[in-house]
Amino acid sequence: MSDLDTSEISSINDILSAKQHNTNADVVDVDETLVKLVVFTLDKNWYAFPSENIKEVLSDIPVSVLPGCPASLEGVINVRGDIESVISLRSLLNYGSLTDTANSRILIGATEAMRSGIRVDTVEEIIAFSQTNIKAPPSTLPTHMVPIVTGAIQLKNHTVTILDLEKMFENYRDGLQG
Amino acid sequence: MAIDIKKFIARFVEESRDNIQKFDDGLSQLENDPNDKELINALFRAIHTIKGSSRMLKLTNVTDAAHKLEDVLDQLRSGDKAYSSALGEILQNSCDMIAGQIDDVHETGNASKPDAAIMKALDDILENETPTDETETQEEVEVAPEEVAAPEGGEEKELKLKTSDMVRVQRSKLDELIKLMGEVVSSHGRLHQRLKVVKNIERHYGQDGVTDLQKLHDFGRDLRDDVFHQQLLMEELHSKALIMRMLPLSVVFEPAARLVREVSRSLGKKVTCKIKGGEIELDRQMIDKLSDPMVHLIRNAVDHGLEASEERKAAGKSETGEIQISAQQDGGWVLVEVRDNGAGISLEAVKKKVLDKKLKTEEELEAMTDKQIINLIFLPGFSTSAMITDISGRGVGLDVVKRNILDDMQGRIDVDSKAGEGSVFQLRLPLSLAVMRILLVDVAGQSFGFTAQNIFSLIEVQTEDILLVAERKAITFHNEFVPLLDLAQLLGIERKEKENKKVQHIVVVQVQNEKIALGVDALNDELDMVIKPLPDHLLSLSLVAGMVMTGNNELISILHTPTLVDMAARQAGDRPSQELTNEGEDATGPTAHHVLVVDDSLNTREIEKSVLEAHGYQVTLAEDGQDGLNKAMRTSFDAVLTDVEMPIMDGFTLTKALRETDQYAHLPIIIITSRAKEADKRRGMEAGADAYIVKGDFEQNNLINTLQALLG
Repeated sequence: MSDLDTSEISSINDILSAKQHNTNADVVDVDETLVKLVVFTLDKNWYAFPSENIKEVLSDIPVSVLPGCPASLEGVINVRGDIESVISLRSLLNYGSLTDTANSRILIGATEAMRSGIRVDTVEEIIAFSQTNIKAPPSTLPTHMVPIVTGAIQLKNHTVTILDLEKMFENYRDGLQG
Repeated sequence: MAIDIKKFIARFVEESRDNIQKFDDGLSQLENDPNDKELINALFRAIHTIKGSSRMLKLTNVTDAAHKLEDVLDQLRSGDKAYSSALGEILQNSCDMIAGQIDDVHETGNASKPDAAIMKALDDILENETPTDETETQEEVEVAPEEVAAPEGGEEKELKLKTSDMVRVQRSKLDELIKLMGEVVSSHGRLHQRLKVVKNIERHYGQDGVTDLQKLHDFGRDLRDDVFHQQLLMEELHSKALIMRMLPLSVVFEPAARLVREVSRSLGKKVTCKIKGGEIELDRQMIDKLSDPMVHLIRNAVDHGLEASEERKAAGKSETGEIQISAQQDGGWVLVEVRDNGAGISLEAVKKKVLDKKLKTEEELEAMTDKQIINLIFLPGFSTSAMITDISGRGVGLDVVKRNILDDMQGRIDVDSKAGEGSVFQLRLPLSLAVMRILLVDVAGQSFGFTAQNIFSLIEVQTEDILLVAERKAITFHNEFVPLLDLAQLLGIERKEKENKKVQHIVVVQVQNEKIALGVDALNDELDMVIKPLPDHLLSLSLVAGMVMTGNNELISILHTPTLVDMAARQAGDRPSQELTNEGEDATGPTAHHVLVVDDSLNTREIEKSVLEAHGYQVTLAEDGQDGLNKAMRTSFDAVLTDVEMPIMDGFTLTKALRETDQYAHLPIIIITSRAKEADKRRGMEAGADAYIVKGDFEQNNLINTLQALLG
């Protein structure tokens, strides 16, 4: 999949044309390669991360609060002796906070930029999906989501939005340092 | 001693490519932000390292190029030259040229001559520099590598190499560890046995009612024994494993002594080096981190600390200088000292340099003690040696040394110096970073930890003894006012219910000379714990130094005390409204009384100042009796408030001295002290004080009323 460099994109038009370019690249690239996805929900909306970025899925374990940390950071957890942060994806994508955490899961995501836990409402399934069946993201996407969405698939009656964890983590890390 | 130079070359190439990368990155950032001092410092450090390493490997072509580039950066850093994109281009070209040289070194083991055009461009930039400096610099470049023989050329490298990823362990220690592991395994087997027993009890429960309880009881007793046994094993295993990582300081000291000889030879100085306490052991992690700072300190001592032979003779000293490297154990700390018997650090030279480089203003210097001024040598961009030399560079280093020791090693560094007798750098280091003494406290339902070395004292204070000065809480503690802050409030945690306690638990923490008192709900525990680092992307979260895990798997944040102190200071500063009204009063009331406050505690001074200013007085501060006397002579004050116990000149002496002058013979002088004894009071009155206020029963109204009464 071609890179979508958001740092250079400044207006919606730019974004759309870049998107267009991106979609074309997908069409040319007609390998029947399978993309593995971890499908999860946030406030009844379906999303997915490429599974290559997700190291493990943890059921809800107690999170310790860190003083002075940004609101999007729930705190830290202990995963076999290592401290991992837990990012609230709801807060990152502008959903309200989760009240019932009974089914909630923490995904451990790892990209070049960073490694962190990500809190999601539920994990639905882990599927392999043919690259060719991945469509361009819906045009109704809210602007704050545009840079981090790479496509969408149709799964059981649900539109699943595929998120770019590499980009998300990169932005998040830069946000923390800036 | 035969050293395989190839090994060093490979390392040099690797390290230099890293530094070139850093340089490249920094340079592109500089384009956007040409005034970023820290960025220029980083560029300087990167190129400085390349210069140093290449010199040791006799790669003179690289050294020449790096040195020239460093000269230019130094001018950029000092502000002599401003950054322009033309200059940036030359810097970039130079960097590329050095990168090319490094590639040569990688392929052939030697570097090509620097490109003449680029060197000329660098020279052109430097043209403003005095020619003498230029030649001196050049001379050093040529002399040093020739005098340093190849095997010793790797010395500094060795200092680092010795402490590489490999650990040598005595076989007996390893055997003990393995034996312990065996014990753990068999103890685990016993637990499996217990599991069978409890399943058995479960299966037959109720069939034989009389013995069920007895069986359970036996089971509980056995299990308890097992748990105790296991615990002992675990503790022993942990300590044995940690011991295996301990290394004697001689690992760093011995190469350091060779480095002293090497550096002194290349500088043409006669130096002996004495070593003490090399047998003291530190965690390998600490040893690793210690070698860089030691290299810097030693180079500094030989180059800047010790005088040239003639100078020593003229001062009536032995021609041969002496460097002493020593270590001693001090509780949970190790005290490492690098001492030279040279000329000492000249206060005047430090002041001048600091002013020249605009690192501090004259007023700031005035308010500092001699020791504080000497410690300014740790500021970035500082160097005392008037002549730039190739050996110890230009003061890149001491700031890095300080940061390494403070941040990476959780230690402290201090310098002291006596004119004519020499200087001593003291490093206080914890024995190990692996396990630290941690105090756990509770506040507003949450737990937090403090590392023990930042805790000055744990005290309980009756709520009625808490002072309220200028709307800020404070306590009196060891003859000074210490501001008291609620930890929950400082951390921004909301309290569910109002606390209404008779006794307040207080943790007094100290960073440098600043103390603050933190109110907590309960002191929970004090334990040796393993501190786990936060993930990399959270390192900007300066409030948390790391996490510890408690017995029931709970993670607790270890608070970073320097950040807390900063936050407290900022909170105190966040009172613009009050400040403004004061200024307003000052402006409208030119008749405002001008009061001199003399106290050696910064906190006390500040608190008294804010009380007085809140009541419309104009305030000047002095930090000891002598300072106070000097200021009193220069300005005419309407009243003087003074502490008793102070360095250099105490408050009684000050009072007496003031009374002997015409100017202060009859003006109000108030002594404010923690000395509550009648005898002291009498002494104060005999010295001529008009009032004597004990800090313990200090109330702001008391002070203001007294002052008003005296001023009439």
